[in-house]
Amino acid sequence: MFATKRLSKMQEHLPPGITIVKCDNLEEWQMDIKILDDNPLYLDQTYRLKFIFSNKYPIEPPEVQFIQCAASTGTPRTIPMHPHIYSNGIICLDLLGTAGWSPVQTVESVCMSLQSMLTANNRDERPAGDKEFIATNRRRIRDINFVYEDDNV
Amino acid sequence: MDQSFELADSTDWLETPLSLLAPFESSLRCQVCKDFFDNPVITSCSHTFCSLCIRRCLSTEGKCPACRSSDQELKLRRNWAVQELVDAFKLARPGVLDLARRENVRIARGEDEIEKPTRKKRKVNQVEEEPQVPETSSQGRRTRSQRSTNSSTDDRTVPQIVPEVIEDSQDDEEYMPEDGLVSCPICFRKMKEEAVFPHLNVHQQEEEAPKKTPTKTASFGSLKAISQRGLTLPTKQPERLPAINYSILKDNALRKKLRDLGIPDWGQKQLLQRRHTEWMNLWNANCDSKNPKSKRILLQELDVWERTQGGHATAPSPFTTSNNVMRKDFDANEWSNSHDDDFKRLIANARKKSEAQSRSSIPGESSSSSGQREPEPQQGAGLLVNGAGVEFSPDTDANHVIDLSG
Repeated sequence: MFATKRLSKMQEHLPPGITIVKCDNLEEWQMDIKILDDNPLYLDQTYRLKFIFSNKYPIEPPEVQFIQCAASTGTPRTIPMHPHIYSNGIICLDLLGTAGWSPVQTVESVCMSLQSMLTANNRDERPAGDKEFIATNRRRIRDINFVYEDDNV
Repeated sequence: MDQSFELADSTDWLETPLSLLAPFESSLRCQVCKDFFDNPVITSCSHTFCSLCIRRCLSTEGKCPACRSSDQELKLRRNWAVQELVDAFKLARPGVLDLARRENVRIARGEDEIEKPTRKKRKVNQVEEEPQVPETSSQGRRTRSQRSTNSSTDDRTVPQIVPEVIEDSQDDEEYMPEDGLVSCPICFRKMKEEAVFPHLNVHQQEEEAPKKTPTKTASFGSLKAISQRGLTLPTKQPERLPAINYSILKDNALRKKLRDLGIPDWGQKQLLQRRHTEWMNLWNANCDSKNPKSKRILLQELDVWERTQGGHATAPSPFTTSNNVMRKDFDANEWSNSHDDDFKRLIANARKKSEAQSRSSIPGESSSSSGQREPEPQQGAGLLVNGAGVEFSPDTDANHVIDLSG
């Protein structure tokens, strides 16, 4: 396993607002992120991210999405409102696609990018075609061809 | 895998009084694999990576992972100065880290009462000096006195080293970054960094008629011995493998090429192609090594690849194959033929499971059976059931494939 050594090298010294929730295997990790500034959209909220790593990580990007947790789990998590985040948690961000990904990225750097993507947002809306997308999409995240048309994220 | 498993990491330093070594160590690590550089090479955009890491990146994407500028494998050059730094640091690391940790314990126990006054004094020094550091380094060369006080503050936990640092006059030559010059790893002549590689060629020519007389061997002691041993050029350099333009080769020609190289030649063209690329990467990265591995070991490494990412990888796993599904030349018929058994098995499993669920009215049982599936991610089948459990009725499967290939 090429990935074994690499993934387990993650640190306990994480940037502010980022915590590891689950990293007991090398296929799937979960992270919690907080938005640290006072953006009213995400104030006092914590969001959960799921990372799925392939054998080819870090040459190929991990699959990253937000996931929901029911209140009964003790850590209720919702999908943040954002014009590039579908309500099923799938994120449209170029650095998570094969074209935008670079092997120098890490779990932390992805989390930080998402933090800043949320911080910079002031639109309380879902992407166009959200309903249709979540109703019809059966593909895995990595197989979706996003069109990255918006540079203001 | 296990969290308690001890792994050297740059953050090891953060809890010690030598926390400034954390960024130092991370700069000795490859940005791709996060491990210490292994056969470092430098790209034409001046970024350094492990030879194998950057070769794998370039063969996938053709771009530098750090800055995304296009680069070619052929332009990679060995970076032996970095290799030497890494080797030396790895050698020193356990001792220094141990010392730093013991110092931590000592501080925790409050045993450093006697040292405290001097520590305070040094701290004051440090504060005064801090603004000077960028200034002096921009000038290129620091004076002896500045440097020795600096090192005494940094080395305050390893006092026995301090006098050595100050008094050893040879240190000036060893301390590379100070004047912006680096020394040739073979003759230790100082020169500009760019000049080293052309200069190394001179040695390479000299090697044939060996008359190398290192001038200062004695004064460097053991450190010199290490770098010397490590950096003499291997007598027989393995020859690099050229890249192949796969698109002009027919299946059988490619198969023959693989056979000629002595690597497995089974599988579809796509797999042959990937196997050849991986072999070329492994082989050429090995050519960058000071101590090249034998072909047998490389074949073992290829076998690891075969089992994790190649033809023996958990084939039905979406991890390894979804990529192929997206390719233009993806053969949907071939795919459904070769995975027919898998689909049937999965459907059968799913049926069995749902029957079991409907039979037993105890909800706990069904959840425990699905829970058991999760910890075996090695098996492609288990993964598929987890990842796409909803989709596993024959109809949606067919849709799935058609949808993607179209």
